[in-house]
Amino acid sequence: MAVCSAYTTQSLHSTCSISTPAKTHLGFHQKQVVFYRRSSKRGGSGSSSGPCVITCSAGDSQTVVIGLAADSGCGKSTFMRRLTSVFGGAAEPPKGGNPDSNTLISDMTTVICLDDYHSLDRTGRKEKGVTALDPRANDFDLMYEQVKAIKSGVAVDKPIYNHVTGLLDPPELIKPPKILVIEGLHPMFDERVRDLLDFSIYLDISNEVKFAWKIQRDMAERGHSLESIRASIEARKPDFDAYIDPQKKYADAVIEVLPTQLIPDDNEGKVLRVRLIMKEGVKHFSPVYLFDEGSTISWIPCGRKLTCSYPGIKFHYGPDTYFGNEVSILEMDGQFDRLDELIYVESHLSNISTKFYGEVTQQMLKHADFPGSNNGTGLFQTIVGLKIRDLYEQITSSKTAAPLEATKA
Amino acid sequence: MATLRLHSLTAASEKIPTSPFAPSSRVLSASFHCNEKRVSIRMTINAMGGGAKYKGTQMREKQLSDMIKMKVTEAKQVCEGDETSDECKVAWDEVEEVSQAKADLRLRLEVEKKDPLESFCLENPETEECKVYDD
Repeated sequence: MAVCSAYTTQSLHSTCSISTPAKTHLGFHQKQVVFYRRSSKRGGSGSSSGPCVITCSAGDSQTVVIGLAADSGCGKSTFMRRLTSVFGGAAEPPKGGNPDSNTLISDMTTVICLDDYHSLDRTGRKEKGVTALDPRANDFDLMYEQVKAIKSGVAVDKPIYNHVTGLLDPPELIKPPKILVIEGLHPMFDERVRDLLDFSIYLDISNEVKFAWKIQRDMAERGHSLESIRASIEARKPDFDAYIDPQKKYADAVIEVLPTQLIPDDNEGKVLRVRLIMKEGVKHFSPVYLFDEGSTISWIPCGRKLTCSYPGIKFHYGPDTYFGNEVSILEMDGQFDRLDELIYVESHLSNISTKFYGEVTQQMLKHADFPGSNNGTGLFQTIVGLKIRDLYEQITSSKTAAPLEATKA
Repeated sequence: MATLRLHSLTAASEKIPTSPFAPSSRVLSASFHCNEKRVSIRMTINAMGGGAKYKGTQMREKQLSDMIKMKVTEAKQVCEGDETSDECKVAWDEVEEVSQAKADLRLRLEVEKKDPLESFCLENPETEECKVYDD
């Protein structure tokens, strides 16, 4: 469905010419239709008789843009899968294109990996001595121009960074979706890109948990050992702390993953303490709360009505400040072992933007084999997905209201 | 009274039927079939790989594994002199990049059970990359 803005309010009896789509050096496609009015006028309302220009955008020109800062690869992460699943349909790489593409497309969403905006490929970074974390390895001008174009309904030819070869491959066409997610290391680094985001999330993994996860990820690889895994994290840390970490103060929601406090000296990283830090006052976003909004609550759901196995589940909710911003923090420590624990918890949370009772549980079950399905990471990622759906619906309903008023006038 | 029927909590990921709920119905009775033994929904990442259907994907898996080994050795060598040098940082960053690429491929094959070359090979079945790999 196209949204067209007309620049006069005349009714149109005209021959029209359609200009050929022009492609600029930045890889944009535009379609403009120019209508020329014939000499016979219809009614005399005394308005201008010049040609009226209608600019049509390929999709709804109200693409909602979400930014996700994560250090865990892109476009294929669990968070993205949960998010696209909330909107329905599975996200797939573009069919028939480059098999090493990082992009994921579903009915409603397109997920772009920001590594595609690397200005230096692997060889180039080696020569200059910069890591992928360094802003000097990324083309923020192109990132801004293309995200801005997609947001306004214009398709772009986006480069592809091939993680296997380490080279920049020929571009792929990205058509404006209803929801664009930009995922990677620097979604909130550049101020201009930040201003384009309707909602932003930062996934903050603590060092201990990062180490435990990377061990799980890499230990079976013959090339790796505990030392090499640790050395890799340590070597990247200075650049990470300098360029990536500072973005979290701009995020509307931060998902902080820490080791559990329920098991003393636990270093396996299997039981997790997850905090959902939600900024107050964000348009179209009402933070999730427990029982009484704005108060401070400590809640252990396990007891007479619900039996949990060790180490149990512990919740905390309360207002706080985070880098100078007013926030509400919802925290879960522990893990779900049974379905009824999950649904019990869901029934006590408020402002989760579900469309029916049990939707969070249903979404979690749909992806029971994903990592984090039994703890706060899966729970909060699912809830954030639902909040984004709610945000999207609020934005699109407020935007369709405006053109309706114009036609009535 | 509305009823929510949920299927077993296993990794089989059956399609959960979406039951339309009237927003006003807050009362719920959950009935579910749960195999008590397989209640755990934790996922163990099997790093041995598997599920590659096409030769091209199998080759990529091997290529990434070999690159990991090679780049770890390289990083150790480069960092021997100065651990804080730019060269050292870049070397370990490359290790991270290929490790993540390998993990992504593994995840795709094992969790999604989809070969990344699927749609490419449907259109180009004669290419070397698209020979079906027999285990």
